Amino acid sequence: MPDCPSFARDLNQIPRNQWLAIYRTMCRARLTEQRMIRLYHQGKIFGGVYTGFGHEAIGAGTAHAGGADDLFTPCIRDLTVHLARGLSVLDVFRQFLARATGPTRGRDGNVHYGRLDQGVYAMISHLGAMISVAIGGVMVRRRQGLDAVAMAYVGDGATSTGDFHEAVNYASVFDVPLLVVIENNKFAYSTPNSQQYRCKDLIDRAPGYGIEGVKVDGNDAVAVYLKVLEIVKEMRQTPRPVLLECDTLRIRGHGEHDDAGYIPEALKAEYAARDPLDNMRRSLTDGEIATDQDLETIDSECQKEIDDGYRQALAEPMPDPATLLDGVYAE
Amino acid sequence: MTHAALAETGFVERTYVDCIRQAQQRLLREDDRVVIFGEDVGAFGGAFKATLGLQEEFGADRVFDTPISESAIIGSAIGMATQGLRPIIEMQFLDFMNTALHQLINNAATIHFRTGNAVPMTVRAPCGGGFGGGPFHSEELETIFCHVPGLKVVYPAFPCDARGLLVSAVEDPNPVVYLENKYLYRHVKESLSDDFEPVPIGVARVCRRGSDATIITYGAMVHESLAAADVLAAEERQVMVVDLRTLKPYDHDTIIAAVSATNRVLVVHEAWRCCGFGAEIAAGIAERGFHLLDAPIMRVAAPDIPIPFAPTLESVYRPSAGTIVEALRELIEY
Repeated sequence: MPDCPSFARDLNQIPRNQWLAIYRTMCRARLTEQRMIRLYHQGKIFGGVYTGFGHEAIGAGTAHAGGADDLFTPCIRDLTVHLARGLSVLDVFRQFLARATGPTRGRDGNVHYGRLDQGVYAMISHLGAMISVAIGGVMVRRRQGLDAVAMAYVGDGATSTGDFHEAVNYASVFDVPLLVVIENNKFAYSTPNSQQYRCKDLIDRAPGYGIEGVKVDGNDAVAVYLKVLEIVKEMRQTPRPVLLECDTLRIRGHGEHDDAGYIPEALKAEYAARDPLDNMRRSLTDGEIATDQDLETIDSECQKEIDDGYRQALAEPMPDPATLLDGVYAE
Repeated sequence: MTHAALAETGFVERTYVDCIRQAQQRLLREDDRVVIFGEDVGAFGGAFKATLGLQEEFGADRVFDTPISESAIIGSAIGMATQGLRPIIEMQFLDFMNTALHQLINNAATIHFRTGNAVPMTVRAPCGGGFGGGPFHSEELETIFCHVPGLKVVYPAFPCDARGLLVSAVEDPNPVVYLENKYLYRHVKESLSDDFEPVPIGVARVCRRGSDATIITYGAMVHESLAAADVLAAEERQVMVVDLRTLKPYDHDTIIAAVSATNRVLVVHEAWRCCGFGAEIAAGIAERGFHLLDAPIMRVAAPDIPIPFAPTLESVYRPSAGTIVEALRELIEY
């Protein structure tokens, strides 16, 4: 079929609803974070706001390729993973607004949340630390006879930590079905990759661990999803870790307090032209999966969910000071 | 009594390390959720043989070696504990855990508070000196763990408590740091039956009654304190010795009752003096029992220097019955 573009062939392998679900996750994340940014600048958020602008294709493309029993340790820029696993936008607002009703009941803030009943661990700030938690978790699921896999998310900066090395080596030694998703956005806070590592690609390290490394365009949700689907299918049969390096750029600062002035304008422009949401819309319309109107309908449904979620969260209480000491220990 | 004669009574002589092994064996037998892993704990049986024979009996699925990766060991235990297992991990030496404290302090200890998910895991950490281990194989860092909300800390001094507390630690739904003193492994023995009950976390034990002074202590220093009390007994001074057994949450009521019986208190530990756990005990007594005191609260602890190697140095570095006797005389004569 020489007249059929390759992406259209790829798209047709997968049910239409799945592509729309991926798009919806990306859209929910983008619009939720746009609202968070506004709230931050209005002084209505406590602490910082850290977004995944530009990273939406990675979290959505990977998490939607997972199954019900799989485990995830998302990082700072992976709101898409939480949403793909079933977290409500309402819960996200509760978390950022320190509500007693939120996933951490106001005990922890911003990106430090996750619902284990959805297979998602709450991250700690120590980069790379969650990879080994994902390993232990999926080892248990395997002992239970499930064909589960785990997906652990890190940035380029975390690959310099000892925890990254320990965990990837450990996973390799124990043949753990672990996808280590490296979101290479070229800057660890302000530090460029040239001052972070000296291999060409981060997956160049994979042979050193005796495992496979795969690089994908992290701004193309179709490419991420199809590649992860393939990796995970093999991993379920033959458990082993894989490094997946996703090329992207953080479009905003490390957090909203940071104007990202250290990122060269030309680089910003290059990636802005390849925005993951624009890419996905183009793939879906060019591939005749959805019309512009279909996508606009999804956009407005997402916007309504966000408006409603924000309003409801705002009306809910923060934790009662009388509960300060509660919950340190399990009974 | 000879070993054979003892065995006929149903009791056998057991060392501290035997009891740690016995408790793990029982836990592996009785609870499918229990797994044990760490460095060299498999076929080799552990650096101190606390897991000897367990891999052979229960298989490499339940007792296994890991790479030398303390952070990944603790991190993977967190992952297992939150998915329904009851991992016991052996940190070959407590000193080595320092490379992975964030996994315990920032991760394991905060998870229940932040998310409501329980993390039932036990970290076994061989600690303490007295055998020429030098600065990196002799540390006593209990104060770090006691400082951290979300952790429990136990530290047995006797074989019976070593096994009873280990069972309680594994049954507890929280991360528990189980400190085991290397000097005691083979120096302390008790005649014990095979059957045993768990020792509850948070309950101290009065090892010796007395009326002239009270020692609050734990770990290897319980034995030094008892030896010191023997010396004083020969001088017709009766010294009470309290073994805390659990450092967090510690048994404040037993401490206060013991202080009220003698009105003079000495806190003894093998760890460094500055910010050592004895400072917490002393502060707690000062807050709740100031009116009970006839003398200042005194402390015997290691000096604030790295742990020295040479026997001539370590023997004066580490508190002993001799230094405790001196402190007791000063306390009683105050």
